Amino acid sequence: MHKFIAIVGTNSDESTNRTLLQFMQKHFAAQATIELVEIKDLPMFNKPENKQVPAAATAIAEKIDQADGVIISTPEYDHSAPAVLMNALEWLSFHIHPFVDKPVMIIGASYGSLGTSRAQAHLRQILDSPELRARIMPSSEFLLGHSLQAFDADGNLVDEQKLAKLTGLFTDFQTFVDITAELNHANEANRKEVQNVNWDKL
Amino acid sequence: MKLVGIAGSVADKSYNRLLLKFIATHFSDTVDVEILDIQDVPMFNQSDDQTDSDAVQYLSHKIKQADGVIIATPEHNHTITAALKSVIEWLSFKIHPLSGKPVMIVGASYYDQGSSRAQLNLRQILESPGVDAIVMPGNEFLLGEVKEAFDDQHNLKDARTVSFLKETLEKFVKFVKVINTMNGPAEDDSWKSEDLEAHGKVETTIEGVNMHAADWVEQAAAKTNAATGDDYVKLDRGVLTVNQLNYFLNSMPMELTYADANNQFIYYNHNAEAKDMMAARTPAQAGNPMADCHPKRAIPHVQQVIHMLRTGKTDLFKLPVPGNGPEKYIMHYYQAMHDAKGDYKGINEFVLDILPIVKYYLAHTGQVLAKDPNAKADAISGASAKSADTKPDSVSGASADAVPEQPDEVSGASADPEPVEPEVDSISGASGNDN
Repeated sequence: MHKFIAIVGTNSDESTNRTLLQFMQKHFAAQATIELVEIKDLPMFNKPENKQVPAAATAIAEKIDQADGVIISTPEYDHSAPAVLMNALEWLSFHIHPFVDKPVMIIGASYGSLGTSRAQAHLRQILDSPELRARIMPSSEFLLGHSLQAFDADGNLVDEQKLAKLTGLFTDFQTFVDITAELNHANEANRKEVQNVNWDKL
Repeated sequence: MKLVGIAGSVADKSYNRLLLKFIATHFSDTVDVEILDIQDVPMFNQSDDQTDSDAVQYLSHKIKQADGVIIATPEHNHTITAALKSVIEWLSFKIHPLSGKPVMIVGASYYDQGSSRAQLNLRQILESPGVDAIVMPGNEFLLGEVKEAFDDQHNLKDARTVSFLKETLEKFVKFVKVINTMNGPAEDDSWKSEDLEAHGKVETTIEGVNMHAADWVEQAAAKTNAATGDDYVKLDRGVLTVNQLNYFLNSMPMELTYADANNQFIYYNHNAEAKDMMAARTPAQAGNPMADCHPKRAIPHVQQVIHMLRTGKTDLFKLPVPGNGPEKYIMHYYQAMHDAKGDYKGINEFVLDILPIVKYYLAHTGQVLAKDPNAKADAISGASAKSADTKPDSVSGASADAVPEQPDEVSGASADPEPVEPEVDSISGASGNDN
């Protein structure tokens, strides 16, 4: 059974993105194990000269290392991903590289009707950068608009169409994870390239 | 002029802070730049509101009091830093000090990109409704290979870079004045009298027909007993049948729209379906008041443009249309029309893709596009293609609210002085409508 890490892309106490991931964890329990990870406790990234990565970041990196893939659920602030999520990804690409070649599924929920469309595009761009170089599932978007109305009291996604879409995408993601495992010819080179990025020697 | 500078880094050592310091000292005769510290701003958290904290309030007050803001952004993972994004989130949550504020973006990076992608992202973020800043278009100052850029005294080494930065800063000073005049108490707000609902009438207005009706054209034609088909019309200079006029106008290599002096949209050369048009129009729209053809928030801009044309401040207003990819460079022209006495008769709006013309000219004269080393703005290369969401402007480009394309400026510094191959592939649209 696949094991996934699900990153809650916010530090807010109340978050429909968290609700969405919790729902997936429960709903797809027969298909995969999903562990939710919070990013609230990471300090502000400040590119420390001593290259010290906080323990909270290495702990997340280890979880990602051991997982078959990562699901990220992002809110949208100011037409982009939240600072706290960008911050987590900065730490997770600073002298540690858990995302290299790791399959990633991006989803998002918003109160309004757009469902984080721009934040997801932004997040794709970030995850595609050389120090992260994740394997983002292509041509797939799960945009959950009007998210405050999307769940019932038990945290179940009520809209059947949305649920069918999410189920389809999640099943696709599992296939994508298997396919990605075969796209392995450049893994070693990618890993080396990332490790060789030496900011000091430039 | 009082500016504040924000370096988008909380690292102990920041070349972007260094760049701001250089701007502050080297150009102190032009501008007064105070560098603001974002070190103490906490990570944004909507469930732990720290809007009233000293660090956030300090920034808010300083920004509000300043005439403009310069942001120097690093690039991390193809985007701006979380630290900078967090600051912007606080400044767009419960308070909005950047609203209407002129902003200039600069950036420095270790590698040669010079924060190009972070700058585009930052523009998009600053233009979102909660932030609502007014970012100076064009004039990108990208400082690549920054570790080599400064001398021991923290001065930029390259004279061309310094001169480009000076030029950019001088433009920003003008930009700040213009924007703040626009935002200030309106000295002349006569443009507000432009009634886009077309309540008034001009001598040609066809009364008694509902302007909103989908069959306005048919109703208006019946009401006026309009010439049609093979009826002859005497023109200056010629005589054509209505059919011939249609052949003629429909074969024009551009999209034509007639908006009359009453701000009513009364004609377009209907030779394509809306989906195939550069600026979509549908047959049912003919006859509509111009207010129907623009999103509400664009109305003031449209009013201003129309008023400039009506009052003769300009006879031609033009702007490129964003978001059309590298293979097109679509221009919107708004040409004032006048009768023989010079009285304003409306707007001839024409839309065309000028890239084929440019390409043809180059191909047939054996020339290529080359960067002009002396150019103030490098017209080649594009800008951000931002998503247009929510209710796209139904008569699309007709809105004057599209932000004119932001030409990419090579950081005068490391730019290759030799002419380069035409970079038509890199031409792309500019920022689009954004809610």
